[in-house]
Amino acid sequence: MIPEDTVVDPMYFVVLATILFSIGAVAVLLRRNAIVALLGVELMLNASNLLFVAFARSHRDVSGQALAFFVMVVAAAEVVVGLALIITLFRSRQTISLDEPMDLRG
Amino acid sequence: MTFESPIIEWAPLAPVLIVFAAAVLGIVIETADPKVWIRRRLQVALALVATLAAAATAALQWSVLDGDGTRVVVDRIICDRHSLIWMVMIAVFAALAILLFSSRVGGDDAFAPLAAAAPGSEEEREASEKGLAQTEVFPLALFSVGGMMLFTMVSDTLILFIVLELISLPLYVLVALSRRRRLLSQEAALKYFLMGAFASAVYLFGAALIYGGAFSTSFTIIDTAIVQYHGREALVLVGTVLALVGLLFKLGAVPFHAWTPDAYQGAPTPVTAFMAAATKAAAVAALIRFLYLAVHRFEWEIAPVLWTIAIATMLVGTVAAIVQTDIKRMLAYSSIAHGGFVLVAVTSFEREALSAAVFYMLAYGLATLGAFAVVGQVREVTKDGSLGAEATRLGQWAGLGRRSPWMATAMAVFLLSFAGIPLTAGFIGKYVAFKAAFDSGGWPLVVVAVLAAVVAVFFYVRVIVLMFLTPVPEDLKDAVEVTESTGPSLVVGITALATVLLGVVPSVVLDLASNAAILVP
Amino acid sequence: MTEHMNPYVPILVMIGVATALAVAGVVVSRFIGPHRYNKAKLSPYESGMEATPGAAGGGRVPIRYYLIAMTFIVFDIEIVFLYPWAIAYERLSLFGLVAILSFLALITVPFVYEWRRGGFDW
Repeated sequence: MIPEDTVVDPMYFVVLATILFSIGAVAVLLRRNAIVALLGVELMLNASNLLFVAFARSHRDVSGQALAFFVMVVAAAEVVVGLALIITLFRSRQTISLDEPMDLRG
Repeated sequence: MTFESPIIEWAPLAPVLIVFAAAVLGIVIETADPKVWIRRRLQVALALVATLAAAATAALQWSVLDGDGTRVVVDRIICDRHSLIWMVMIAVFAALAILLFSSRVGGDDAFAPLAAAAPGSEEEREASEKGLAQTEVFPLALFSVGGMMLFTMVSDTLILFIVLELISLPLYVLVALSRRRRLLSQEAALKYFLMGAFASAVYLFGAALIYGGAFSTSFTIIDTAIVQYHGREALVLVGTVLALVGLLFKLGAVPFHAWTPDAYQGAPTPVTAFMAAATKAAAVAALIRFLYLAVHRFEWEIAPVLWTIAIATMLVGTVAAIVQTDIKRMLAYSSIAHGGFVLVAVTSFEREALSAAVFYMLAYGLATLGAFAVVGQVREVTKDGSLGAEATRLGQWAGLGRRSPWMATAMAVFLLSFAGIPLTAGFIGKYVAFKAAFDSGGWPLVVVAVLAAVVAVFFYVRVIVLMFLTPVPEDLKDAVEVTESTGPSLVVGITALATVLLGVVPSVVLDLASNAAILVP
Repeated sequence: MTEHMNPYVPILVMIGVATALAVAGVVVSRFIGPHRYNKAKLSPYESGMEATPGAAGGGRVPIRYYLIAMTFIVFDIEIVFLYPWAIAYERLSLFGLVAILSFLALITVPFVYEWRRGGFDW
């Protein structure tokens, strides 16, 4: 059991969250598979969640934990809409590569 | 630990609640699954009544409001005159957009009859023959409208995130639902979704950093935290910049504009009109509240960033619009440029900018709704003589003045307003916006803005010349037809009239806008 | 155990034990287990449903899986709001009750919609 007064310096969490966030961002920007890009977005959102919870602990402020709940729900809704769009596109084209379906140019 | 129920002033939320209630009711109607024609009428009526009632309620609240505003939830949601005027504007834009949503050309509306069927499949043909309709578009749009109206009142970073998603998620779906050119539409939706989700995630990370530095998500508490030196300003500042990225994305500012032309071109035209007018207004409202209430003490740090973005937005929007050959894409780039023009006012951090932004977005939104309404009426004629997809290639617009003088004249009014020619609303809008920036010492920004506006006149006038002074090409004589269906004609009429009225007698609305230049913290 | 032991030591021990067990399970069964394969045994088991043709990365997956996943995510995540309420409902008093009831009423609407539109007909 960790004693109540050992609070890890939140800056460690900021660094960890930034790393997770960057991995997610790189996945969205560089990976060509739409589902992997969606995973990247989720990773970015969860990096923020980690920050909210870590700061809530170091501030001794419960509201940060409640915020994380709301973010989780919003993230779930976003995944559903994203998956639905990916499925419709897949059914039309039989591919979810972000490189292939390119009719929009200019 | 004891729990105290939050004190909520419900009355100022009435316009938003009306819209949300109508949206839920709309889903209940879908659940009951009545015959298509009943369903359509119910949904259209419900959506129109809800948006108009919301506009009326917000206006009523304006007239009975004693003082500057009400704190709906202290430090979280604030309903002041500034949010009320945006709410009325967004609700009116929404009502006009619903008219476009409901319009039918040759018996077909703008949306896929069965969104689940693959494009070109047997199922799709069958659904089309049976006259099916995806009437879920109305509740979806209402959810988005309710979110936009709430957006203008939010003064808390996390609620802002939730509402941002509430606005965006229905829009992603709506963009994918075009009846014609469905592959284009679905692709646009996926791009819009991925970039939108990315921007929201960046915003949220910024909000989390701000929470780390300021110990709160409330704008007012963030503001005081910046003053009281905690040694964590760096966190708040980095968070602010990231959060701004998310908001500027919704506005379509460069370099976060890449989604705009694709989404605007691929989306069903009524949805494009709705996105371009209402979403942008809501984004500006929220951006103002965030900048002016939460982080205005960072003015010295973020103003240069915003200046750079404003200049880049105006230039990229204008230059890219010149080379476009598709009318929807051209209007998309023009809307990017307009986002830049309104940023010119917003970055001044002056009270004047509040009223200028309101007027600018009103002028821009009206002209945008009208212009896209016209775009929806210019149709290609298919080989069997029926009306097909929209004729969006600029070449197909040649001689439009002869095909339909009224539509072409109205379009000319909208384009002149975009260009900022005197006697149109756009001129007054540009004038007040640039004046707000100039008065606060932002003259270099104003110089760039005026130059960009002058260059922009070129491509707007080019379309007018094309419509009126170019004859109809021989080979396109029977290939293009302008329909004049009731809903869009009404929208075109109303917006054209309003554009001219606002240009000739702007004082009434300008007075209202300057009364609204108050933000209650 | 000393008072000042690093709080992360148990986690490290845990990781070590978990890795050892997992590796041991795979390696040992390979050496001492009987090998009598037939076709049914070699095919992947997916909760009694017909196996997915092809791998997730390359081959095609029936759309149904995604539909079920979507429904699951939407309705599963709502527990996030119910759980804190269930723990503290006495302290949240009437306000909490009204809030959670209106939340449940709202979530019922899309549930009924999906049910009526055949979202649950697998």
